[in-house]
Amino acid sequence: MAQSYDVVVIGGGHNGLVNAAYLAKAGKKVLVLERRGVLGGAAVTEEIVPGFLFSECSYVVSLLRPEIIRELDLPRHGLEILPLDGTFSPMLSGDYLWRVNDHAKTQREIRRHSRLDAEAYDEFSKMMTPLCRFVKPMLSMIPPDPTTLNPKDLKQLHFMLQRFRELSSEERYTLVQLMTMSAADFLDQWFETDVLKATMSASGIIGTFLGIRSPGTAYVLLHHYMGEIDGAFRSWGFSRGGTGAISNAIGSAARELGVEIRTNAPVAKILNKNGRASGIALKSGEEISCNVISSSVDPHHTFLSFMDAKDLPSDFVDSVKRYKFRGSSGKVNLALSALPNFNALPGVGAHLRGAISISPGMEYMERAYDDAKYGHYSQRPYIDMVIPSLTDPSVSPPGKHVLSCFVQYAPYKLAQGTWDDHREAFGNNVINTIAQHAPNIKDIIIDKQVLTPLDLEREFGLTQGNIFQGELSLEQLFFLRPVPGWAYYRTPIDNLYMCGSATHPGGGIMGANGRIASQVILKEWKKAAN
Amino acid sequence: MPIGQKVVLIGGGHNALITAFYLATGGFKPIVLERRDRIGGGAVTEEFHPGFKASTLAHTLGPLRADVTHDLRLDKYDLHIIQPEPRLFAPTPDGRGLLFYGDATKTAGALSHLSAKDGARYTEFAEALEEMSEVFGRIASITPPAIDHPSPEDFWNLFVTGRAVRGLGKTGIFDLLRWGPMAVADFVAEFFDTELLRAAIAARGIFGANLGPWSAGSTALLLLRAAADPHPIGSAAFPRGGLGEFSRALGEAAQKAGAEIRVNAEVQHIRTKNGAVSGVVLADGEEIACEAVVSGVDPKRTFFKLLDPANLDPVFAQRMKNFRISGSVAKVHLALGDLPKFTALSDAIAPDGFREALSGRIHIGHEIDYLEKAFDASKYGEISTAPVLDVTIPTLLDPSLAPEGKHVLSAYFQFAPYKLKTGSWKERRGELANSVIKTLAAYAPNLPKLVEAAHVITPLDLETDYGFTGGHIFHGELALDQIFTMRPVLDWARYHTPVKGLFLCSNGTHPGNGLTGASGANAAKEIIHELR
Repeated sequence: MAQSYDVVVIGGGHNGLVNAAYLAKAGKKVLVLERRGVLGGAAVTEEIVPGFLFSECSYVVSLLRPEIIRELDLPRHGLEILPLDGTFSPMLSGDYLWRVNDHAKTQREIRRHSRLDAEAYDEFSKMMTPLCRFVKPMLSMIPPDPTTLNPKDLKQLHFMLQRFRELSSEERYTLVQLMTMSAADFLDQWFETDVLKATMSASGIIGTFLGIRSPGTAYVLLHHYMGEIDGAFRSWGFSRGGTGAISNAIGSAARELGVEIRTNAPVAKILNKNGRASGIALKSGEEISCNVISSSVDPHHTFLSFMDAKDLPSDFVDSVKRYKFRGSSGKVNLALSALPNFNALPGVGAHLRGAISISPGMEYMERAYDDAKYGHYSQRPYIDMVIPSLTDPSVSPPGKHVLSCFVQYAPYKLAQGTWDDHREAFGNNVINTIAQHAPNIKDIIIDKQVLTPLDLEREFGLTQGNIFQGELSLEQLFFLRPVPGWAYYRTPIDNLYMCGSATHPGGGIMGANGRIASQVILKEWKKAAN
Repeated sequence: MPIGQKVVLIGGGHNALITAFYLATGGFKPIVLERRDRIGGGAVTEEFHPGFKASTLAHTLGPLRADVTHDLRLDKYDLHIIQPEPRLFAPTPDGRGLLFYGDATKTAGALSHLSAKDGARYTEFAEALEEMSEVFGRIASITPPAIDHPSPEDFWNLFVTGRAVRGLGKTGIFDLLRWGPMAVADFVAEFFDTELLRAAIAARGIFGANLGPWSAGSTALLLLRAAADPHPIGSAAFPRGGLGEFSRALGEAAQKAGAEIRVNAEVQHIRTKNGAVSGVVLADGEEIACEAVVSGVDPKRTFFKLLDPANLDPVFAQRMKNFRISGSVAKVHLALGDLPKFTALSDAIAPDGFREALSGRIHIGHEIDYLEKAFDASKYGEISTAPVLDVTIPTLLDPSLAPEGKHVLSAYFQFAPYKLKTGSWKERRGELANSVIKTLAAYAPNLPKLVEAAHVITPLDLETDYGFTGGHIFHGELALDQIFTMRPVLDWARYHTPVKGLFLCSNGTHPGNGLTGASGANAAKEIIHELR
């Protein structure tokens, strides 16, 4: 074996890079191996159509941990977050709902639809804030093991219980509801405006194979709210130069700290001896030895592709096989010669600078889910669109634009045929859906990129096309993520760790997973040294 | 408070009768006031067509919790419980079928003709449920803890429950945590390959709920029910003479203990004074003064119909308003001239004979997708075109319910949403009977010709005739956010209410899982503790 490292990180997505940077910061010799030619994993920007930069998968930033931005000094490495203000939801009736960050303005807008809802919106915001404060520390903690009597775990569980008891009765009531209810049932208690409830509930289903009426979807509403109290930056934003610029900034910080990054370096095997990781074999045949392996790819790749089942405990392999991915969304990226013109609010305006949400009503959302349950992409899908080129002209030629559409539902497993047969029709269906609201869309498309769940799997290594490396459902969260008994970034193989979105606290461009995993690795390293 | 104190119980359903029994035994003077002409609430036998009697609503027992059966000495009241074998018959439209026996090994044997692997896994599954049911049974038998000021008893319960949980071992604890929030379709798929088997078991996780098998949390409901009966498909037992006999026995036990029971006594109003109960007013104007009232009717009726809402704390009233209690179950009874012939009952499937195979419950809903599609309709206020049916033909084992040679068929119909998008239940009730006959005809082609009469109970009838608000047979949706410390609402899950002297004992309280008597027995313990 030619080279030797302290740590090899598999996968150059944002979590892998964060993990590598922190390990290098602690003085370790780190190598990152990325399969593709570009860094970033699903946080990537590429020039798919000449002159147009598409943030192919992940398209907005929300919960990137402020401590990571600070500790890795990301702004110096080129990170610049531009505001994404508001959500515009056109309705088929010709009306619209346009919520913005300015609370008073939003309230006035909601009052146009319902006086009661305008008042409730105020209360709702006030209620969510303390709950976000309650949940937030959990995003940066290693989940406790609920099955042991180990004092450390018991202390953590007790700490959580104690904090729960410190909440007021009203806060507890709402928190319990958020953890257990469906987004639709939860919002029904607060609001009456259909389009408001539909648009809010949409955040509860992103990346899951659940409908807005499925219990467990209310929790994500809280997640959505959380960014707003971070204080470091506005909740939702674009990164200048596209989402890939975030990965590049983290990559640059990592390199400066001494991390070696190799692209076009697909991993074939994780080498292990006597239950202990010893190195990596690349597809090229090259072998790299190291003390520790940190895998930012999902558990299917890590344990089922890169390892032999016989090297792992059989119940662990069973749990990994049970881990649910079932991707439910696709992505359509459009290069446009002009801006879309919405019937509900014609012309170019600030409403195009925020998110545009095709979620006109609760029944619309639920029916979109019904199609998916039986293996069809939604006839009328939920679409979350952004036009980053309005805020960041660097991503398109002058006067032209990029429209990025997140589409749900698109089930990985189709009832009939393959995604290769349905890709074209799926893309056209999305465009037709948009055309219902902005009829000029068909005339302004220069080119398009359609990513089905199968494409997300093939191209970006997201098993079954799940954008969060595994469904964010209640039974796969916190001390159950990715699998029971192994929610602590460790694995049954000594010196092999997980640091990707498949670990707590889950997906999205947070970076928390990579950071917590680095702490676990360093702690164990120290323990082993003593 | 003095022993011998009068306590009024509103409603003569099974929980109220059990609470009354315990109160009488504890030295109080309970008076049960039932609005209808018979006690029993949802557990009654009624003649729906001349000569034909049926267990109008519930058609099988919960079963009743063992300690309650023992305390009430129900064996003394001429109550004959019939335990059908097999417990459940699940046919498919293409003429296959599956029989579930009380004994897991026997069922596994019957299963192996569909899948050898599933046969083996079935025994494992039955054992896993049995283990879980010990923990859930423990939880169902305690009063949910007070979060702010836990009592010594709460700590003790926590300790005992914790010990039971730890008894499951590391894997078991993780299974418990993982299974609860799961969709029941995923849960059964972890064990079985056979679609029919999956669907028959999954149905238990959606019965009476606004959930489909793909709804998260439906496994919790299945586990909650397993606490009462760990058998994978649940209970099929019923008393000779129908469920009304069960209520009669409960009533007699309560009376023997010293309770007074009055029928045709509708409580119209709970009177309060300075935030405390002072009595009840009946529909005929009679007033009964008392300082303690236990409501056996659902929480919404209790707080919004029987009480003056002005007396309620606004926060509590708001939570109560949000309590979800919209039902999606209807019931259809058919008077049949003869026994229908199910095509799936070939000799291979029913070695014990045709009649035996039909003597338990019959489950219609052979695929997970079938169950889910039935649920889909209800989300949009529509009646399922292909409904999930839970059917019994009680006359097979109890011929006394129908004229000689004739039969009664009772079917729970899911999903029939209380709130319809078009039309009203008054206009659309006929659709339910037609739908049941049409659906069953696919399995038993001669059935339509045998129908002599049909009787339909719509969700609206459940509300107006039987007093279930929203037509919800469990007095409120059994969902993750409405169980345990949240049933009916957080901070008021201990059978007490914000009105001094007013208590709850119905299925709208923890654990609320059907005809098990658990809510009534748990409530009695708290009430006696409070009033003494």
